[in-house]
Amino acid sequence: MIKLVFEEVSIKDPYAVLGVSKDAAQEDIKKAYRKLAKKFHPDLNPGNQEAEKKFKEVSHAFDLIGTPENRGKFDRGETEEPHTGRPGGYYYQSQDPGGRYTHSFGEDFADEDFFEQLFGRSRAGRTGYRASMDMPGADETYQMEVDFIEAALGAEKEVTFPNGKKLKINIPGGIENGQKLRLKGQGGPGQRAGPPGDAYVEIKVASHGQFQRQGKDIETEVPVSFLDAVTGGEIEVPTLEGRVLLKIPAGSSSGNKFRIKGKGAGTGERRGDLLAKLKVIVPKNPDPGLLQAVEKLKQQYSFDPRRPA
Amino acid sequence: MESRRYSIEEASSSCGINCEMIIHFVEEDWVKPINHQEMMLDDEDIARIRLINTLLDELEIDEEAVPVILHLIDEIHHLRFLLGMRDRN
Repeated sequence: MIKLVFEEVSIKDPYAVLGVSKDAAQEDIKKAYRKLAKKFHPDLNPGNQEAEKKFKEVSHAFDLIGTPENRGKFDRGETEEPHTGRPGGYYYQSQDPGGRYTHSFGEDFADEDFFEQLFGRSRAGRTGYRASMDMPGADETYQMEVDFIEAALGAEKEVTFPNGKKLKINIPGGIENGQKLRLKGQGGPGQRAGPPGDAYVEIKVASHGQFQRQGKDIETEVPVSFLDAVTGGEIEVPTLEGRVLLKIPAGSSSGNKFRIKGKGAGTGERRGDLLAKLKVIVPKNPDPGLLQAVEKLKQQYSFDPRRPA
Repeated sequence: MESRRYSIEEASSSCGINCEMIIHFVEEDWVKPINHQEMMLDDEDIARIRLINTLLDELEIDEEAVPVILHLIDEIHHLRFLLGMRDRN
């Protein structure tokens, strides 16, 4: 069985990460998690990468041992799937740099004197931050759907803004669903001498009938005949750039995964792998000769997957 | 390309948080829908709903503390924004 390894979260002892003993009560594990999460949650530390890394470790540890069921699996060494992050990202990403809520706060509470003092600006000649910065334009966010293969390998796309302006943008290979590309100075116009805002293009990666993304890795299901599954051999596997041959060992089963290095999403050294997941197929209407041969084999060799030897 | 809008029901299924809870967040003025009249939300509103739900549900923070935390988070973002503008100028 192949283990998926993600770059961001290395697997550490979850008990050590949460600072609890191996025989800690479930309630104490939860308490320890909550205490650390309140300290390191990325939305309480916007922009602090160290805190975000720490929070990922803590929430991964809690995923592993936070419920009696998961903890039992971890203690028996059955845990395989690593933490893959939370859906939807964090709030601070929607406000960085300056979202609607941020601006609304500025309008309601900003005290020019206070901020002048904070940033050490001279008050001579009216250089309050509103006057001196001449209000930059608003940032704008758009969404764009990108083809699965283009998102995996990268592409150049032309986008048309609502004002009719066209711009070529470079989609980097390996971009993930929900990631935003920043187009500097392509947002709303500034007031007076204020600079224009930025445009953010949020990428929606289209799904593909044959491939699924798992971070930088790509998974595909490969049908294999039950005869090849028993004897092993070479099978053809589809990749983003055509077919390749993969050697499978004798005694392969449905669900077994094989890693083909460097055939995933991304470019250069940062390219992920292709995970070929086998699906063993038996012919729907077996040839009478095949049936006879298998009947003979059944009498000669017994195998019951529900009662492993 | 258009910035997407979500109804309360769509937001509910996208965040896995029930509609009544989202309406409660709006009534408390913690979430300010981009289109208040038609109760349509944008991605920022959705992110804020997820954040409030994390505070209440995952970190088990008292409801009374939520507006205080949101105020401080908004202030941090405003300060970060001003610092960013200062660096740009």
